[in-house]
Amino acid sequence: MKKQPYFTTFELIMLALFSALVVVAKIALRMPLQLSGHSGIFWMALVVAAAGIVPKRGAASLVGLTSGILAAFLGMGDLGALNTFLSYTVIGIGSDLILWLLGGDPENLVVAGLVGTIGHTCKFLVKWALGTLTGAPVGFVALGLVRAVVGYIVFGALGGILGALTLRALRKAGFFAYLAEKK
Amino acid sequence: MEQKTRILIAVVILLLMVGIMVGVDAFRGRNTTMPSEGGDVELLAGSIPIYVDGEFVAAFVPSDLEKLEGASFVDDEEGKTQEGWLLRDVLGLYLSADELAPGMAITVSSSSREKSVTLTWGEIAEPENFVMFDLSGRGTLKLVSKLEGFDTRDDWVQDVDQIEVAAQ
Repeated sequence: MKKQPYFTTFELIMLALFSALVVVAKIALRMPLQLSGHSGIFWMALVVAAAGIVPKRGAASLVGLTSGILAAFLGMGDLGALNTFLSYTVIGIGSDLILWLLGGDPENLVVAGLVGTIGHTCKFLVKWALGTLTGAPVGFVALGLVRAVVGYIVFGALGGILGALTLRALRKAGFFAYLAEKK
Repeated sequence: MEQKTRILIAVVILLLMVGIMVGVDAFRGRNTTMPSEGGDVELLAGSIPIYVDGEFVAAFVPSDLEKLEGASFVDDEEGKTQEGWLLRDVLGLYLSADELAPGMAITVSSSSREKSVTLTWGEIAEPENFVMFDLSGRGTLKLVSKLEGFDTRDDWVQDVDQIEVAAQ
């Protein structure tokens, strides 16, 4: 008997599209906010939406991994390719793990908010850890790190909630019924 | 497991992550000492020592930011706003005008990134060049500018931890 692949071709295409969207959002969508982590509002919305549209464990990780490879090859970020690749990838892995812990319903606003918050904070943790391991100096401004963490948490949560609202809107519009028909 | 318990575990994980970062940074943030002619000088963690001809003369400390005017520009590479304090104003706090000649070489470096840039006082003093410190996401200083040849992320010096002025 032929073993079924974990992700179908259609799901892989959807996840690849979300990965590309993550990178495009990072390049094209700009908010005039001088606050750390503000791009998380788009980023986490896309990751949560991807995890809802392809409701399988590992979907968010695959989006993170693929977008990380894309971003690293495009030379994004000013801290090097490894930093870019790891920070994109860990967002997906962190989101998947928290989604698994919370029961896997990204349409629930509390769940999505927490997935967004922790997934996004994982990115900051990786950046911070790489900086610390390479001997980067401690922050110049008092509470600089705390301010940055708060920014990541707030924008990650907002992104997660935005993702959940997008999934709800898609369900209302009949997108999931359409997908089920296509299977 | 109940959903409330799962949420509580997720919140604890988040707090642990934040706690580790803040705790380790606080531990690293203990004051450090710098060798100086008149004996070791205690520096606030994160402050940037300034050397003139190899001699420690001062340290750029966070409380000095109140004395500086802010500056900003939008970089051509990614269209992001770089916001902070001009290097010429920072140096002006510790060195008098007659100590700074246009051809004087000033090196800003980062030991962790093994990067440095040497600019002349003339280039730094020109306001249109926007040679300035921008605050990075993790609170460290990054030297950025619009100066030709020093206007991309690859050139900029992140995590700055020393300024050296070569007067001679």
